[in-house]
Amino acid sequence: MVLDTMSRTVVLGVIGSDAHVVGITILEQALSAAGFDVVNLGVQTSQEEFAEAAVAHSAEAVLVSSLYGHAEQDCQGFHEVLEEADVDAMTYIGGNLAVGQDDFEQTRETFEELGFDRVFDSETDPEEAIAALERDLHVTTSESEQVTVTS
Amino acid sequence: MIRDERIPSDELRRIDDEIRSGWSTGGDVDFEEAIRYHESLPASKRFADVLESADKPLLQPRAGVPRLDDQIELLEYLQDDGKADLLPTTIDSYTRDNEYGKAQEGLEKARETGEDTLNGFPAVNHGIEGCRELIDALDAPIEVRHGTPDARLLAAITFAGGFQSFEGGPISYNIPYTKRHGLEETIEKWQFVDRLAGAYTERGVRINREPFGPLTGTLVPPSIAIAIMIVEGQLAATQGVRSITLGYGQVGNVVQDVAALNALQKLGDEYLPDEVCVTTVFHEWMGGFPPDEARANGVISLGGMTAAIAQPDKVITKSPQEFQGVPTKEANAAGLRTTRQVIDMAIEQNIDIDGIAEEQDLIERETRCLMDTIFAHGDGDVVRGTIEAFDSGALDVPFAPSDSAKGAVLPARDDDGRVRIFEWADLEMDDDIKEIHKARLSQRADTEGREESFRMVADDVDAISDGKLIGRPQGKGGVGSAD
Repeated sequence: MVLDTMSRTVVLGVIGSDAHVVGITILEQALSAAGFDVVNLGVQTSQEEFAEAAVAHSAEAVLVSSLYGHAEQDCQGFHEVLEEADVDAMTYIGGNLAVGQDDFEQTRETFEELGFDRVFDSETDPEEAIAALERDLHVTTSESEQVTVTS
Repeated sequence: MIRDERIPSDELRRIDDEIRSGWSTGGDVDFEEAIRYHESLPASKRFADVLESADKPLLQPRAGVPRLDDQIELLEYLQDDGKADLLPTTIDSYTRDNEYGKAQEGLEKARETGEDTLNGFPAVNHGIEGCRELIDALDAPIEVRHGTPDARLLAAITFAGGFQSFEGGPISYNIPYTKRHGLEETIEKWQFVDRLAGAYTERGVRINREPFGPLTGTLVPPSIAIAIMIVEGQLAATQGVRSITLGYGQVGNVVQDVAALNALQKLGDEYLPDEVCVTTVFHEWMGGFPPDEARANGVISLGGMTAAIAQPDKVITKSPQEFQGVPTKEANAAGLRTTRQVIDMAIEQNIDIDGIAEEQDLIERETRCLMDTIFAHGDGDVVRGTIEAFDSGALDVPFAPSDSAKGAVLPARDDDGRVRIFEWADLEMDDDIKEIHKARLSQRADTEGREESFRMVADDVDAISDGKLIGRPQGKGGVGSAD
């Protein structure tokens, strides 16, 4: 495998009307520490804003967060919007994706059918998402970068 | 740019007329008639007097349902079975977004189906008559609790409707609640709310105002919360408010919580004008709760214990069903009773804990640094200073969803569970204070045998719902290992 020293850009945000910011704040820190260039769109981000940011920053991955239970509704047609904008990026989604539905495998299937490459539940550690991202984007980073924030 | 100046009376009247034309019920407001209604209320319903004259912490829950009859029934239950001293009326989310049409649809649907189709009481839609029916039906004073960036019409209607206490403020109902409302915009709108409260106050109806202390509810360092409380108190005082309740949310370390409540009262008295009566409110833990009612009762009890030692004027209680969202009325009353039991058992004990004075001194020094930078940013004007200081990041709130705050500062607990600042970003603070935080966090890192990192922040956010205070790595650290 070729050692890739270029920094990789990922777009991160909370979709819909959701204002839960803690998860993406921690994920932003973790991704930056792991050497990614992170474009954090923050909370209450529309599908179009995700697409525009992905184009503007040539993002290689789009990471969607949702905590308030309306994710399925908020993500309808999302991949069509990305496609129309010519976004060719991995798409992940994570959080409380279906309030009141405790079978996560079914939730995973629902969101994979919507077009997401990977689906994570709310118990996922940032490291797990980063490891998946590194595999999917064929990134190699040094171990020290993975675990600490540069101060 | 707007400044910290009182809105002139002709301007107050102009905005008031404009605001009240925003929904049909606004037309029913008649200021003179409203004053007469307030004057007709018994002393037991005068919020400011009841709160300010209490000799031990008063308890208040959160509660709001769409239909008037249901709201009366719910509050009667919390008053009679929960023994709440002060009552709330929590407003629905559509009203918070000024979507009165959608709130009306929800209310009509609730009336047809009997289901709670809104997550609170749409006071604007119920109008003055509905509000007064509620005030008349209950014995205790009732506060409006919400989360509305532009609360002008809600204030006009609920003040005329007989409510004498109103939660919120331009920073505390902006930064934690919304992404896109600018600070200058919310300050201007809340100047009107405060001026209206001031107009009632001048006529002898002291409307109590309560800035929302817990902010984002997630590991907020005490000095940041206190500085914002002082700013909102000053803005309200400028507009003529004379009864102000400053808030603080439990972080879970008893020493730090008691120290913070002491500092809040002391600095509030010092920074706010003498003619203002400053009281304090302690919010039981606002972060993630354990998914287990028994353990949730433990969190609530620790809040009661803290309140018994610090003796704030008011405690906002939580319910053991906090984890799953809106609680049943039984669970809500249970949270009140649990809190009362602990406070009443502990309050007459002389509990003396080491370290409170030292921690209070640190919190006061930090708060003064933040207040100094706010005044410096605004050349002495607190409105300009607040806007500029948030803009530069010299003032910041952790985990703020708003575009008006950088949200770059990050907290983490130290080895004793006190909330310190791990990432300062551009927050203004004296270097020797930063060193103290750094040393405390470094001590924790040593105990846990890991580097200081965002990982601690993430672990701390989940710790209480996971059954601990400090987010230790699994299988390491723990009580006593620091010694």
